[in-house]
Amino acid sequence: MKPNKRGRKTASTLLTATLAGTMLISACSNSGGNEKANESTGGEAASGGKASTLKVEVFDRGNSPAGSSITKNYLTQFVQDKFGTPNNINVQFVPIPRSEEVQKLNVLMASGSDVPDIVFTYDSGTFYRYAQQGGLTDLGELLDQYGPNLKKFLGDETLAYGQYEGKQFALPAKRSHLGKYSSFVRQDWLEKLSLPVPTTTDELYATLKAFKEKDPGQTGGKVIPLGMSLAPAQYEPLIWSFIEPVTDEQRYTLTQQLGSRDYPVLLPGFKEALQFMNKLYNEGLMSADFSLDEDKKKLNEDAAKGLVGFFSEDDMNPFYPDGLYATLQKNIPDAKLSAVDVYTNSEGKHPKPEYAPIGMFLMIPKSSQHAVEAIKYLDWMASEGNLFDMQNGVEGENYTLQDGVPIVKADAADEVKNRIYNYGDMAIISNGKQLGDADKNVEAYVVGMPEAFQEETRKALSVSRSDTIKPVLFDRPIEAQAKYGTALLDKFNEIIVKTTMVKPDQFESTFESVMKDYMANGGQAILDERTKAYEAMK
Amino acid sequence: MKGTAYLRRYWQLYALLILPVSYFIVFKYGPMYGILIAFKDFNFFQGINGSEWIGFDGFREVFAMPDFYKVLRNTLMLNFLDLIVSFPAPLFLAIMLYELKIVWFKKLSQTILYIPHFISWVIIGGIVYQVFGTQSGMINNIITSIGFDAIPFLTDKKDWLITYLVVGVWQSAGWGTIIYLAALTGINKELFEAADVDGAGRLRKIWSITLPSLKPTIVTLLIINLGHMIAIGFERPYIIGNTAVRDYADVLSTFVYRIGIESGQYTIATVVGLFQAIVGLVFVLGANYTSKKLADQSIL
Amino acid sequence: MRDRHASRTFDAINTIAILFFVLLCLAPFIHIIAISLSSSRAIMSGEVSILPVEINWGAYEQVFSDMSMIRSLGFTVMLTVLFTVFCMLMSIAAAYPLAKTKLKGRKSVMFIIVITMFFSGGIIPEYMLVRNLNLLDSIWSLVLPGLISPFYLIILITFFQNIPDSLEESAEIDGSSYFRTLVSIIVPLSMPVIATLSLFYAVGRWNGFTDTLMYITSPEMYPLQLKLYQLVQNNMVSELMSAEGASGVQLLQPESLKAASVIFATVPILIVYPWLQRYFVSGVMLGAVKG
Repeated sequence: MKPNKRGRKTASTLLTATLAGTMLISACSNSGGNEKANESTGGEAASGGKASTLKVEVFDRGNSPAGSSITKNYLTQFVQDKFGTPNNINVQFVPIPRSEEVQKLNVLMASGSDVPDIVFTYDSGTFYRYAQQGGLTDLGELLDQYGPNLKKFLGDETLAYGQYEGKQFALPAKRSHLGKYSSFVRQDWLEKLSLPVPTTTDELYATLKAFKEKDPGQTGGKVIPLGMSLAPAQYEPLIWSFIEPVTDEQRYTLTQQLGSRDYPVLLPGFKEALQFMNKLYNEGLMSADFSLDEDKKKLNEDAAKGLVGFFSEDDMNPFYPDGLYATLQKNIPDAKLSAVDVYTNSEGKHPKPEYAPIGMFLMIPKSSQHAVEAIKYLDWMASEGNLFDMQNGVEGENYTLQDGVPIVKADAADEVKNRIYNYGDMAIISNGKQLGDADKNVEAYVVGMPEAFQEETRKALSVSRSDTIKPVLFDRPIEAQAKYGTALLDKFNEIIVKTTMVKPDQFESTFESVMKDYMANGGQAILDERTKAYEAMK
Repeated sequence: MKGTAYLRRYWQLYALLILPVSYFIVFKYGPMYGILIAFKDFNFFQGINGSEWIGFDGFREVFAMPDFYKVLRNTLMLNFLDLIVSFPAPLFLAIMLYELKIVWFKKLSQTILYIPHFISWVIIGGIVYQVFGTQSGMINNIITSIGFDAIPFLTDKKDWLITYLVVGVWQSAGWGTIIYLAALTGINKELFEAADVDGAGRLRKIWSITLPSLKPTIVTLLIINLGHMIAIGFERPYIIGNTAVRDYADVLSTFVYRIGIESGQYTIATVVGLFQAIVGLVFVLGANYTSKKLADQSIL
Repeated sequence: MRDRHASRTFDAINTIAILFFVLLCLAPFIHIIAISLSSSRAIMSGEVSILPVEINWGAYEQVFSDMSMIRSLGFTVMLTVLFTVFCMLMSIAAAYPLAKTKLKGRKSVMFIIVITMFFSGGIIPEYMLVRNLNLLDSIWSLVLPGLISPFYLIILITFFQNIPDSLEESAEIDGSSYFRTLVSIIVPLSMPVIATLSLFYAVGRWNGFTDTLMYITSPEMYPLQLKLYQLVQNNMVSELMSAEGASGVQLLQPESLKAASVIFATVPILIVYPWLQRYFVSGVMLGAVKG
């Protein structure tokens, strides 16, 4: 069987024909798809009397309770009944998987269709990118025209965060409680050793030493005087307390914003903070495997087992039902955890970062045909107690009011409780409950905790709000931050881990080399741009 | 034979290819224009066609990044170690399984050995810390209890390489045996009987009967593996890696994820992808050529 | 005599080595089962290793009473079967002609296929394609884009090439068509590799969920692994916890529930292999025919 040249040629022609044919098929279906897409948008625009459709993004965390779904539940129905139907608008919720939110949003934006009319993200980098690339609707006039309540609710301070080159391209949600961190000590250990509650960093060091030497918890040498992890809640309170008081200029130019946080890498005092961590680590006063513990799992485990003497944490994290404190008390019934404010700066204050007064960035893509309806929706949410109803459910069934603070009814049936299971993702104009003033907002958190822990929660929350450092806000975006931010976050962690874990005599050289690496990979670019931006702003 | 006659003879074979080839054209080549992103300043709202051309600026930017060479080196290093350690592991394991005499034990162990493949990396990551941790890891608890110093399996660069390899073998060796076991079913049992008559020992039989029958499979897998020397999965280095060992654990996939995807720089991500594709193709063609010369077997 | 002794020693060492490895592979799985049956206090305190502590079945009761999990299991099984059948049909159809080294145009087709192992268009054009084909939010968006893995196809070709030509030629002399040869000789002789690749495709589909994140919006079409991923992953990101923890979203899921869901999502696919093992015996027949 020896096919000649012609045979070969015919065969390959056949193949080519097949290929061409399939290309054609795909080309046809391509245009088919587009036509359909055009048709539907055209149809919507043309229909005057018919209900228009407003598509709103919602985070899907896969935690919808039985009997409801992320797109069909009490709150979606509430929105439709109270806002949609009266305004002849069909509100449709588009689920976006929480964990891949930015990536999915990117793809939807790039595809130009299927984009919800209201999208949001916590990631300021994504917001700046969209704004810079010209993909967002300027909301300034729309807000004046259709969103008076919304504008009043958010306020100028919050709105400033949603501006890009002077234009209102996003509406940041308003954050109700700005406190971030508190610290906690094993009160029962202090009592056992007849030690006072530490009030300064030096006293804390002495306390940690005593914990290590005397092992009041009888852990058999496993005691971890200072619980540490590679999460900001653990290292930020320590590091920021070492930062020297700075001028405005230093604050603006030397701070580095990576992701949503400000980092003090170049501020005076940063090196001393690391040196202190190095000392604690090498003297065995701190969690040995902290560098592996990015999700605080190990820290929580150690603390729950009663091995940890002192640690910093997100303000009220230990107090949740079945949380850290509850577990600790199950393991060690007479364990007592107290909220304390310890780390001190050179002025005797207890500085620690606070949140920017914002939550998510709410955006309306330029391609949206329903920007007006979108603003109307958000305005509706901001008016006449609608936000309150979305966050709290039905009075008498979900909560009772006491001095203007809603007390959640713990004995309500699951179906009732589940009504508002994702109110944080649905009531998008606010992060946290808004009850009129900051103290009431905080009180709402306190009464949400188990009764036995409410007093300590109150204390922890007030610690988190005292002597706080506000994030630095420029009037213009710093592009280098968007570009290098995520990469530098990893480098920042490397700085902490490497300088903390080296032998003390190698601290200097290690610090120098990691800082050099940090600066070369974008740190310098951010510094230069911030310096320039500060000059221009002055 | 004339062309039409050739076709009349073989048309069925070509007909069988129509759907599969169409699949590749539509679903693989259809989206291939996305590669153009590497040469454009990609703007989400302008789309691929509307974005501005930048020529090779993206490549210049990537090649100017100090971290790029580090992650490239790490990728090649981890893959090379895998090729030496993790690639032969399933082969050994498959032969060991094949030699097992007790049938129920053989079937049971086959099933159990591939369980790790089904455990997601997130969960493996948690278990790895519990087992290999310095302060309270299971292995170090044993080491310190008999009076030795704890070994920083996860936080020292060199020790970490061992951890990385061990976890890799553990996770994939059992799964990898399946393909070899399928190939082993093709061995003619009479060959073993003949070898018995000759008085050959067990190792001798493995060497001269079992291994040769696996050769085509080994060569095929090896060629494909070599083609992927510059590609590396995201999850294993990302999950087992940690800040302390980033000097070794940072690889192309984690680099692209961080720089390209998280920071929304699709141009950079595409440039790196294209670079990997070209190098990978060169590798696989080279391996294919070599194998054709040396073993008279090729995949192309 | 000495030989038999050596052979026994070999068997003993071999069995012990395998047993050791088996235990290593089993331990984490048992650990997950233990977690799924333990109290949250014991888990949070890190007391659970191989045996459950303060045993309770609450997590499993919760998983099995969640209709969306049960429905998702059904959907995932359907999707996996559909996907595997289509993949194997396509792969066999492609591998048979491509196993014939003398076929004209084979090299070009192989080249076209190998290229796709390295070059791809990326996520955005792939999404556009699926959208333009009107496949978004349909089961086909999870089936069609991944129909043929070039890697598995090459393996299949290698196996087909190892079938002795004599068998096929005898069929050809009988005047059998290629279709018939494929169905009546090649496929039956290749059951071990077909079973293997079916397993590979099935497991790949069962465990894969990244495409679902992009293409599927209806919760009814969430495969099990996506639900699992949401359960495990969403709570892992500490960044989220601190930024959103206060925003009123219930983020914390008990560890035991996660573990029970892992078991629930893993066991169905785990039992596929023991079931497929029967096809690995047919190789005996192949050996016989060969001889």
